[in-house]
Parts: sequence; C-alpha cells; structure tokens
Amino acid sequence: MDRRKIDVVLSTFLIIVSLIILTNNNLVEGGAESDLGSMFLPRVVAGLMIIFSATIAIQSLMKLSKGTKIEGLELISTDGFSGILIYIGIFIVYWLAVPYVGFLVATPFIMIAVAMLLGGRDWVPIIAMSVITPVLIDYGSKEFLRVYLPTWSF
Amino acid sequence: MFDNIISGFSSILAIGPILGIIAGVIIGIIFGAIPGISAIMAIAIILPMTFYVDPIIGITMLLAVYKAGIYGGSISAILINTPGAAASFLTAQDGNALTKAGKAGKALDMSLFASVTGEMLATLVLILVAAPISLISLQAGPIEKVFLLLFAFTVIGSMAGESLPRGLLSCCLGMLFAMVGMSTITGAARFTFGYTELMGGFTFTPMLIGILVMPEVFNVIKRRLVPHHEMTITHSPNPADNRISFKEFRNVFSTILKSSGIGTFVGALPGLGSSTAAFIAYGEAKRTAKKPEEYGKGSVEGIAAAESANNAVCGSSMIPMLTLSIPGDDVAALLMGAFLIHGLTPGPMIFFEHTEIIYAIFAGFLITDLFLLVIARSGFKFFVKMASLRRYYIFPCVTVFAFTGAFTAGQNMDDILVLIAFTVMGYGMRLVGLNPAVFIIGFILTPFLEQNLDQAMSIVGTDYYLFLASPFSWVFIALSVFFVFSSMRVKRKTAKATASAENKTT
Repeated sequence: MDRRKIDVVLSTFLIIVSLIILTNNNLVEGGAESDLGSMFLPRVVAGLMIIFSATIAIQSLMKLSKGTKIEGLELISTDGFSGILIYIGIFIVYWLAVPYVGFLVATPFIMIAVAMLLGGRDWVPIIAMSVITPVLIDYGSKEFLRVYLPTWSF
Repeated sequence: MFDNIISGFSSILAIGPILGIIAGVIIGIIFGAIPGISAIMAIAIILPMTFYVDPIIGITMLLAVYKAGIYGGSISAILINTPGAAASFLTAQDGNALTKAGKAGKALDMSLFASVTGEMLATLVLILVAAPISLISLQAGPIEKVFLLLFAFTVIGSMAGESLPRGLLSCCLGMLFAMVGMSTITGAARFTFGYTELMGGFTFTPMLIGILVMPEVFNVIKRRLVPHHEMTITHSPNPADNRISFKEFRNVFSTILKSSGIGTFVGALPGLGSSTAAFIAYGEAKRTAKKPEEYGKGSVEGIAAAESANNAVCGSSMIPMLTLSIPGDDVAALLMGAFLIHGLTPGPMIFFEHTEIIYAIFAGFLITDLFLLVIARSGFKFFVKMASLRRYYIFPCVTVFAFTGAFTAGQNMDDILVLIAFTVMGYGMRLVGLNPAVFIIGFILTPFLEQNLDQAMSIVGTDYYLFLASPFSWVFIALSVFFVFSSMRVKRKTAKATASAENKTT
C-alpha cells in the first residue's frame, strides 16, 4: 500500500476537522468566563494541525505527481492484516460478552481464540493456561486490588 | 539532602517496597527479554495494579520494571540476535557474534555489569542534580512555564518524529485529545457532543495501553507466520569464555564510565531516548578504541559501551520530568502518568511537598540496581526459558492483562471501548509515520500548558509584550528554534547518508 496516498487522504480529513474546530462555536457548552476562553487553545492547535497536515499532504502530492519511486517507510506491507482484523473482532466480542457472561466465562474462550490465531495447537497447555490465568486474575483483583471484575448477569 | 537520602533508604528498606522491587525486576527482565514485548509494554500492563498500593511501592516497582526491562532487551539480542528493545540493536551485533563463538556467558555478564554500572552512575547524577535544578526551576512563573512547555512540545515533536511535520502533528493530536471533556479552568464541556461519558475526558490508562502497548500485539499477530526462535545459552569448554574476569571488566571500565556519561547527558535531554544514547556512545567508544575493527564482530567493549549508555538513560530521563515536569521520552511520559495517578505531580514542588516519597524512590532506584545484579546473575537460565515461551502462550495473557488493566482504571466497560479505539488509532499512527509516544506526551502536558497560559494571561492582561519581558522566554524561544533547525539538519543528513549507502549497494 502506498503511504503517500494515505497521507493525502488523512491530511485532508485532519484539515477539515481543524476547520470545523476553527469555525464552529457549538463545540463548547457552558463554562465560566476566563481570560483565555475555552476554545482558545483548541483553535491554536487546530491552526497548527492545518499547517502540519498541509505540509505532509503537499510533500506526498509532489512525490505522487512526479511519479517518484516508493521508498522504505512509504510502502505499507499488508501481509498479515487479516490476522489483525480477526484479533480486533475477537476483542470486540470480548467487550460485548463480558458484561453478560462475566470475566471468568468469557476469558478462556478469548485466550484460546488468540492462541489459535497465533498458531497454537498444543491444546492441553493452552486450555490449562486459559482457565488458570483468568481465575488467578479474578482472585488477585478481588483480594488484593479490591476490584470486582464483571460476573455472569443472566 | 544527605538526611533526606538516609530517610529515603529507611522508607524503602521495608518488606512491601522490597517485594515490589523484586517483582518489578523479575517482570521487567522477562518482558524485556521476550522479542516483541518491551519495557514500556510491561510498565503499562503493571501500572493499573499499582493504583491500590502505597506510592513508594507502586512507583519503585514500575521503575524496577523499567530498568530491568531495558537490561532484559539485551538477553534476546545476545542469544538470538533479536533485540527485545530498540536500544539493544548494537548489543545484538557484538553479543550475538560472541554467542556464535560459544561465549554467550561472557556477553551476558558484560551486558549485565555494564547495565548496572551505567544505571547506578546515572542514578547518582539524578539524586545529586535533580534537587538543585528544581530550586532554579521554582523561580519560573506561569509565563516562563508556558515557554518551557512550548519548548518541550517543539523539541519532543521535532526530535522524536519520523519527520518534523509528522512529529509536531502527533503532538498536536495528543493536545487535541487532551482537551476533550470538561475544561479544568472554565468548567465548559468541550468536544463532548452531548455524551456525558466524555465529560471526564478519555481515561488515561486504557488510552495509554491502547496507544503504546496493543499495537505491539498487532505487530506480533501480523508476523505470526515467522518461525519461533528458541533461546539457548551456548557454553564453551574453556571456563574463561563463560564469564567476565575482573581484569576484563577493569579494562573496559573507562569505556563504561564515558558511555554512562554520554547516556546520562542524552537521557536528560527531552526527545532523544536510549537508542540515540547507545549509538552515540558506541560510535565514540569505537572511535577511541585500540581495536576498532573488532566492533560489530564480537567486541566485549562494544557491548559495554552500548549497554551502559542505554541503561544510563533510565536514571537521567527522570531529571527533566522531576525538575521541569517534562517527560523526556515515552517511558518517562508513562511514569509521569503513574506519578499523577498516585497523587504526585512531577515538577520542582515534588521535592518540597513529597520529600520523603521522592527520596524513597531515589533510594529504590539504587537498590533496584543491586537486585537486578543479583537476580539477573543467578537466574539467567530461568529468564532465558521464560523468554523462549512460544508467542501463543504469551500474547493471550497480554490480551487479558490489557483488558483487565483498562477495566481496573475506572471499573467501567466504556474504558474497554476506549482501549479498542485507541489500539486501532495507535497502530494506524505507526503505519502513517506519526509518533504515539509524542502523542502521549502532548496529551499529558496540555492541561499544564492551558493552566499556565490562563494564569499568564491574567498576569499580563492586555500588555502582551510582557510575555517577552523575561529573559527565560527568549532563552526558550531560542532553544526551540535551535532544536527545530538542528533536527531538520540531522534528518536531512541522515536521509542523504541513507541514499548514498543505497546507491553504493546498487
């Protein structure tokens, strides 16, 4: 993937966001009067973001228009991206499941899923680890940190 | 000061802090030695667990993880030529060459002794220098602090980023995210879009784990098809090859001293970090060496130079944080967050408001070095075995620890959503060349900037020229301009050197 194209799209997006911050007065609600004002610093930062984003976009556009060859960091390798997407999916399922089935039930399945994703096939140690680790974390959180992890709520 | 140090030692020499240090050293070495996991990852995962203990135990444990993690990086560097931390790249060259020659024990010993010596010297400098500098920085009022913070943003953004605009844009993004929620000055709700959950801003711990830790897990998953490398310590039949003799250590001691000095100096400057220190010290040691041709091919002196310099950064990177409230690198930013969570605001006042705690932490720093020496020396085989664990045992645990850490911060499932969102963002930032560490530093420092800017505006009223009335203001403006131009020059030179090297090879 050509990073220079992403640079142009991302910079355009950031410039639009910065322009909204600079021009929209509804981004702040309430608050007391102060010498500085609530939107002074966000607007200064937005102004700077326009400058830096534009610089990046112009540099990338110039390289693209000249047809310069892609150099080291400008080439984003997409090999293995499918694994990342699966991992994000696993994490989202984890987030959605824990409030309902609880930490102790959801975690072993998630750990096994991540281990499988990473090529783990030694089932006995993986299952043992996936059961023991959440039990230890739950016990440690409860006893030492006084943090109660979510439990089964059906 | 001497009384404070003694009192610090008496506070640290208790069961709780000592157990914290021992746990921190063991966790740090293991995490540092595992390729793909760095010290910063270990600190971010351990951080939520320290919320519920005394700051002396919590902070010293985190610092022990930091120090031991930097050292741990050298183990995988020496044994399998895979640096656990970026700063161990040079150690990998010489250390792995020695391993191939059957002298792994010698390389590991030298790395440990050099690391501990470098860290100890830098810690002594930190103890001696921090309090006097804080006395000077106490003289700074809000106007000077505004310029100091602007200087910090400029230096960190320009030095740490892949390019100047990318570094500074990372910093601006961090600043923008820090302004989400209720303004501490006016009480106004900014960028909340009617969501009350955003009133408190983004929770620091899940954001931190998401931006700095989880993208490393993504990297491992992306490279999941790369074969696993088993670590083993090679043994030579000649016992002298398996250890460092006192004579050998004495021969390289001057190099260790010089490299520690370089590491301490570089670490005290914001934005440079341990890799830069290691490269400068290694280059200097090679330049003045009797046998420079051995460097990169198994030089014990090379290992000593790189390791003492990159470990010296641990101590000295605390100097700008504790005296000026400026975290010099990503780990210092993370530790600054830990200090804030524990109710300690890093800055010159910390030496007066929390004297006992800060000197206990200093004492803990020194004691950590001794524990690191003993634990690492006696447990090489254990750490090598732990670091050799296959990634499908390690990363499911990292995932669960990240989840638990993010939840523990606010005991709120929304924080897990914050974790997921910032994980994706952190990885995306790496892909497009934005610097997550600079983002975090921008995030942490912005509330201080806004507060001081508001106070400065109240002082100057409509007489804006008063902003430039103090000599400090001019000094910081000049330093900012100098750092921006010097960073541009360095980056241009590096690009030219890389291009010419590529031309030569083709």
